[in-house]
Amino acid sequence: MDTAVPPIDIKGLSKRFGAVQAVSDLSFRVEPGRVIGFLGPNGAGKSTTLRMLLGLVRKDAGEASFGGLAYEDLPHPSSQVGAVLEDASFHPGRSGRNHLRVLAAAGGHPRTRVDDVLEQVGIADAADRRVKGYSMGMRQRLAIAAALLGDPEVLILDEPANGLDPPGIRWMRDLLRYQAGLGRAVLVSSHLLSEVAQSVDDVVIISHGKLRASGPLEDVLGGADGAVTRVRSADDERLAAALREAGMAVDLQASGALIARGTPAAEVGQVAAAQGIALTELVAVSRSLEDAFFELTDGPAT
Amino acid sequence: MTALLHAELIKLRTTRTFLALAGVAVGTSLLLAVLVSLLTEPTEESVLGDVFTSDTTGLFILILAVVGISGEWRHRTITSSLLAAPDRLRFLAAKTVAFAVAGLALSLAISIAVAIAGFAILTARDLTTPALGELAAQIGRNGIVAMLLGALGVGLGALVRNQVVAIVGVLVIGLVIEPTLLALEPEVGRFGPFTLPNAVAGIPEEDGGLGDGVEMLSPGLAAVAMLAWIGGFYAAGATLLRRRDLD
Repeated sequence: MDTAVPPIDIKGLSKRFGAVQAVSDLSFRVEPGRVIGFLGPNGAGKSTTLRMLLGLVRKDAGEASFGGLAYEDLPHPSSQVGAVLEDASFHPGRSGRNHLRVLAAAGGHPRTRVDDVLEQVGIADAADRRVKGYSMGMRQRLAIAAALLGDPEVLILDEPANGLDPPGIRWMRDLLRYQAGLGRAVLVSSHLLSEVAQSVDDVVIISHGKLRASGPLEDVLGGADGAVTRVRSADDERLAAALREAGMAVDLQASGALIARGTPAAEVGQVAAAQGIALTELVAVSRSLEDAFFELTDGPAT
Repeated sequence: MTALLHAELIKLRTTRTFLALAGVAVGTSLLLAVLVSLLTEPTEESVLGDVFTSDTTGLFILILAVVGISGEWRHRTITSSLLAAPDRLRFLAAKTVAFAVAGLALSLAISIAVAIAGFAILTARDLTTPALGELAAQIGRNGIVAMLLGALGVGLGALVRNQVVAIVGVLVIGLVIEPTLLALEPEVGRFGPFTLPNAVAGIPEEDGGLGDGVEMLSPGLAAVAMLAWIGGFYAAGATLLRRRDLD
């Protein structure tokens, strides 16, 4: 893979299913050695985007490439890209080991890699059991083992925490960081920010198929715009005008309170004092990453 | 392509369905051969067709192939298959060749077992046996039939995602529609994909369902016609597969 171009590059990607515009003019890139959280509520278009990237769903418009090549043009796809999709499925009558043997053979990987990845994901003891007897977490680990078979430079994981217990989620987070530490590009989608917040470097947030924000996690969801202040006064209209004149973003809520975004409470108080407006309430609203995520994606993830 | 073929053959060997149906094919073929050898008195002209065409591999490899390709959709393993082999035409080609190879191998094993059993019984009963050259040629034709039906099954199965519909559809075509066509219009019916294998195997016309005055195609021409059917179904299946979104 040519390292002069980003390991993952998505440009103007669009897809419509009937009346539903699943993905609309989406662009972002993933650099090597970074874990990118691909976030959005259910139905936001994350899985469709990943499937277009992997050549499983046809694009209506745009480009998606790995090191400059479309997935279907990669000479050794499983050695370059490892993917775990949300609905990872297995033949129920085949053992975990045999499932991996099939994929190893198809990818031209040595059979010893099967044992290696089974050890790596912690299901070596269950390798010869039929998959229909696996728990959800074991199936997820088997899917991750399949993605790791070719020791790929790029990892794509769609909702990888599904089915994992808390130790499993911690293991998955460590795996993501470990892979990024090896210089690999990791793209991990989730509808729950809390699942990935501790392990991602950057985030790409989409909603209704459109890009809402991208960049380092703190910059996108917190940072300079993170402070939110709720204020009430004897003359809300005059206070709102004064705050806006001071360059602050202010919304009037249905409850009658003013919400000043990106402004600490102390600055709001100073403006009110300078205008001689008596305040009846001044509250620095605690704004979690989840709150910011919900704001960007039009509401709580469902 | 070799890697994909290897992967498809591992898929085949690592499911119980294949082992079970292969076992049934062995059992039914041997049972038929033994019963015919024990209970009939074939003539020098009929012995080859009566005893040594009882290889049922074709039927079972056809069903296995339909199950094999439609099972990719049923179990949603099509996603991991196409991630490993993003060129969908190569994926379908590898599966087609894998089932053809499996059909050939299974048929050769069964035909040789049938030949040994049939020869032993006929010799013990002091009845006529075919020349070894003729027998070898028959075993070869049986193998070609199984190979062609394995490939045909993948093409047919690729047209329908629902496994049950695919299997029932194949059985309806093979057991209802084509025999009906053969009875009503034998000149047309003899070109059907489930009648042609009889011609390839050299099964006598009356046993192949053809009426008086209608000749079966020669084994070579029938094999060419079968390849045309396989090519047609492969092209249709490949076109559908390329267009499908795996969402």
